[in-house]
Amino acid sequence: MINSILRFGLIFILLILFQVLLFNNIQFSGYVNPYVYVMFILLLPVEIPSWLLLLLSFATGLIMDFFSGSPGMHSSATVLAGFVRPYILRVISPRDGYEPGSDPSMLTYGFRWFLTYTLLIVLVHHTALFYLEVFRFADFFRTMLRVLLSSLFSITFILLIEYYRRRK
Amino acid sequence: MRSLLNFLARYNNLIIFLIIEGIAIYLLATGNNYHNTRIVNGIRGLTRGIEERINNTRTYLNLREINENLVAENVALRNSIGRLVKRENSLFFSVSDSIYQQQYLHTSAEVIGNSINRQKNFFTLNKGERQGVKVDMAVTSGNGVIGVIVGSSENYSVAMSLLNLDFKLSARIKSNGYFGSLSWDGRDYSYAILSEIPQHVSVNVGDTIETTGYSAIFPEGVMVGTVSDFEKIGGDFYKITILLATDFKKLHFVDIIGNMKKTEQLELEKLFQ
Repeated sequence: MINSILRFGLIFILLILFQVLLFNNIQFSGYVNPYVYVMFILLLPVEIPSWLLLLLSFATGLIMDFFSGSPGMHSSATVLAGFVRPYILRVISPRDGYEPGSDPSMLTYGFRWFLTYTLLIVLVHHTALFYLEVFRFADFFRTMLRVLLSSLFSITFILLIEYYRRRK
Repeated sequence: MRSLLNFLARYNNLIIFLIIEGIAIYLLATGNNYHNTRIVNGIRGLTRGIEERINNTRTYLNLREINENLVAENVALRNSIGRLVKRENSLFFSVSDSIYQQQYLHTSAEVIGNSINRQKNFFTLNKGERQGVKVDMAVTSGNGVIGVIVGSSENYSVAMSLLNLDFKLSARIKSNGYFGSLSWDGRDYSYAILSEIPQHVSVNVGDTIETTGYSAIFPEGVMVGTVSDFEKIGGDFYKITILLATDFKKLHFVDIIGNMKKTEQLELEKLFQ
């Protein structure tokens, strides 16, 4: 228990640092802003109680908001992602169900499963985030393009990190 | 009670989500200027639409009365046209400019927002810059003075009502021509105060009060009201209570009057101050 709290604490801090120091500085032509910190919500254990998941999502978003000076924007998106995560997990559950006490990782459930999982949650999170940021439907398709391109980059980075995390 | 608890237990996930998301959205709405403005504007647009609709209905219900007023005004206007045409025919103009003789430009507008119960009352009109309404134009109803335009947007304008502590008007007693300053004391929406009339002037209850035209905003001779009461106060002046000719509780169609020669007058006056 203590062990896993420490482990997730470390992951949390590392991801936030990654995001703030590295990915927040990637702004490729205004269309690509990868948000990799969502990975923290992805990695939490499968059996985490949903209230804790929501609170942790909120905390993650709030800290990102502090760093990017946009109160509420990231937190709204992460809370939504945390809310839909159990449903997504249920929809894409493997044939034999989830192993008790496991983390949703690439090693346990395979690359394809992890890709679907990441894709769905990142899309939910980015859609909410980018539309809240522009807060109008006037540039609907331009925003959608931003969502798709940024998601592509976020997913790539998340897969890379996950790949190296397990090899180590 | 049990079913309530069951309900809470069943949907606790959703409830927690709604609460936290509510907090996040609240932060979003209050913490960011941009989002805040968008939300406030959205709500305001909504209420303005509703206000306009309510006003439309009210206008329809009062059509009969409005019609009567318009007819009376028409008659008065025809009378004055008759007088004016006669007078102008007898004058000789050497300049053949069609607007040479016209000093005041009239535009009609509809009141779509009004208040009478504050100390500083304003009302909103449904014409704006696109229709030629500018700041400092006079607003009258068929019966008399009601305000001055203080701001205009593309299609709307806001006027300071006569019922506003900041409103000052130069007005005179029609029968003898003595002029004073008219303002509202913030008490009753149907009375205003005319001051600075010296005590040797004879004032009678029922005397007509009209505008002087000295301010270059209102044309000369627009009805303001009638004297309802006067008293001598300290100093040499009367404090005259005026019963306003306009009922501010039912303003609908108003007349916006722009003085086309105002700039000229003000520039000339500035030279000698």
